[in-house]
Amino acid sequence: MSRMGSGPVNKRSKFGRKERIFGYSVIIPYVAYTAIFWGYPFVWMLILAFTKWNFFSKPRFVWFDNFLKMFTDKVFLQIILNTLNFLAYLIPMILISSLLFALALKKVKFGRTFIMLSFLVANVSSGVAYSLLFSNLFAVNGPVNRVFDALFGVTIPWFSNPQLAIFSICLIITWKFIGYYGLILYAGIQQIPQSLYEAAELDGANKKVLFWKITLPLINPSLVTVTVLAIMLTFGIFTEPYLITGGGPMQRTTTFMIYMYDTAFKRIDPSYATTVAVVTALLSYGLVTLIRKTFEREVSFV
Amino acid sequence: MKKFVSVTLLLVLMITAFSVKLTFWTAPNPYQEEFWKIMVTQWNKQRPDIQIEVQTIPAAGSSEEAILTALAAGNAPDFCENIFSGFGAQLADIGALYAFDNFGADFTKLVQTRKMTSIIDKWAINGKHYVFPIYSNPMLFWWRGDILKQLGYSNPPRTYSEIYDISKKFADGKKKFTMQVISGRNWWDRWYDFITYYYAATSGKSYIDTVKRKVNFGDATGKKISEFIYTMFQNKYTAVELGTNPFYDGTILGKITGPWEVNWAKETFPKVIPNIWISTPPVPDDYPKDKPVYTFADSKGLVIFSTCKDKKAAFEFISWVFSNAQNDALWIEKTQMPPAREDLTTNPVFAKYMEDKFFKAYSSNVAYAVPPALIDKTIDIQQAMTTYLVEPLMYLKGKPDDILNNAVKEINKILF
Repeated sequence: MSRMGSGPVNKRSKFGRKERIFGYSVIIPYVAYTAIFWGYPFVWMLILAFTKWNFFSKPRFVWFDNFLKMFTDKVFLQIILNTLNFLAYLIPMILISSLLFALALKKVKFGRTFIMLSFLVANVSSGVAYSLLFSNLFAVNGPVNRVFDALFGVTIPWFSNPQLAIFSICLIITWKFIGYYGLILYAGIQQIPQSLYEAAELDGANKKVLFWKITLPLINPSLVTVTVLAIMLTFGIFTEPYLITGGGPMQRTTTFMIYMYDTAFKRIDPSYATTVAVVTALLSYGLVTLIRKTFEREVSFV
Repeated sequence: MKKFVSVTLLLVLMITAFSVKLTFWTAPNPYQEEFWKIMVTQWNKQRPDIQIEVQTIPAAGSSEEAILTALAAGNAPDFCENIFSGFGAQLADIGALYAFDNFGADFTKLVQTRKMTSIIDKWAINGKHYVFPIYSNPMLFWWRGDILKQLGYSNPPRTYSEIYDISKKFADGKKKFTMQVISGRNWWDRWYDFITYYYAATSGKSYIDTVKRKVNFGDATGKKISEFIYTMFQNKYTAVELGTNPFYDGTILGKITGPWEVNWAKETFPKVIPNIWISTPPVPDDYPKDKPVYTFADSKGLVIFSTCKDKKAAFEFISWVFSNAQNDALWIEKTQMPPAREDLTTNPVFAKYMEDKFFKAYSSNVAYAVPPALIDKTIDIQQAMTTYLVEPLMYLKGKPDDILNNAVKEINKILF
């Protein structure tokens, strides 16, 4: 009997009053922050996705109309294809180049921090500024094409051919993120114990084997991290196509973000824009989960 | 004496307590801001009962974004300037604007005083006036007179054939192109290419029938324009990307632009400026020589929001500003942009500005400058014009006639 009586009391008084007040006061700023900047928009997002609103009138409830509209929306389907097209270029480009950067960084003896910082400058520079820079660099009569013309007598339509335009934009994004992602991979490589390489070398492994059998499998967590980050990045491409190609040619570089922005603020249809955002988020989440399920391996150095 | 002071104080207090305070948003452009600050300071001195506070449209991705979010958050201004007529139509559509027609005779009188009776017709949205025109920028072509002279010309080209003729002498398809034919690939660029060419070739006929909701440019004129764009790209007389300032470094001979470029060009390329020839957009060969050539108007105006605290007070301020031609003269001085009035070339108040060749050219075309078709689906229509009309023409995907017909079909689907 006495145990039953003391049970709940014990549970309540696990922490003293003072401790509880302290505990709450520690979490309240975070909870309040989350409620205002995450919870409120989240609720508002749900409301918007199921209503019709024009910034001005009261939202009108429309059930699943916004979602159904998406199935007949040619542009939306085109954007899904565009995004896959972007992924097909960007993921290999970004993985290979940042891996090469990380491997090269490991070889460098002096000024490693300086090199790292130099590559990171691209990452923190303004999207608008470098978009303008690249669009001039790759213009039909720009410096890049002038070199091509002088050397081979041809000019390359960097932003006019649909596939080339996607490739060029991926090139810019790769340039921007090579330092950041390279650093993640470099950290992964640094974690691999030197003893593993030494043991393998004793067993007669050459450089190729060392890379394919030790380095690559053991940086799996970093590689998956970079892949996941790059996928999320692809779903969020905005500035480069918005400024350079305007979503063209043939709407082939129109991205989810461009579509959302234009739909909300230029077509004055924030409800549909929100619905597109919700579905985009689900799509990217699905893809990320798929990648993790397929490629992620547990790695331990014991 | 003491009594007098206290009574005055009391009066002042009462006036300030009962006075209206209105918020007025202006373009985030230093020249326009300066103009409005001068106007509002004068007004606030004269009218303690209606106090106006000027704020620039807050920084955001675009002014549309800023205004829409302010509307949503319930802190929209009482009235706002620099509203593009197309955006005005969208705002009117969602019920966010107050029509000027509600002011009745006062509005009609203001329109007459500011000499804009025929201009105002083109600004009607579903038969009502929600946007009060402030300025109208006719889009005109600038040509490199110095290079054209070397090629043996004494005038800028007027027709498509004349442009082909120049191209044969000048363009090499690699470093030299005759002109910028297509302004870009964003949906709004269609205003400055196809739509401008259409206005020019049809004496300002609307490219879309906003009442019947049908495309107008599927006609013979539309075909001629498509043919022109196609020919220019086919022969490499023009290109899609031309790099930075191709006009000033002599890569191209001609391009379309508005008066906003004048001040910048004068500062950046002072050597090119004296050699610039200005012309209206090119027209088909059979366009009558004596007929004026129309063009697109990049025009902005002022709107009163339906949430405005005191619409009559806002209108009083607007009438006060625009009833006085001197204020329009000040506007020209500050911004170099032609006010939307029909008497720019005849009113002596503006005579001294006519000495500037750029201002003269732009202001004498105000009467022939047509704003865009005011329709709710502008973006989708112009996106489709880009995807189905301009891009296939640029990339030579099919015959110009077929491309045009297909584009008309697709855009009619959107309008339906």
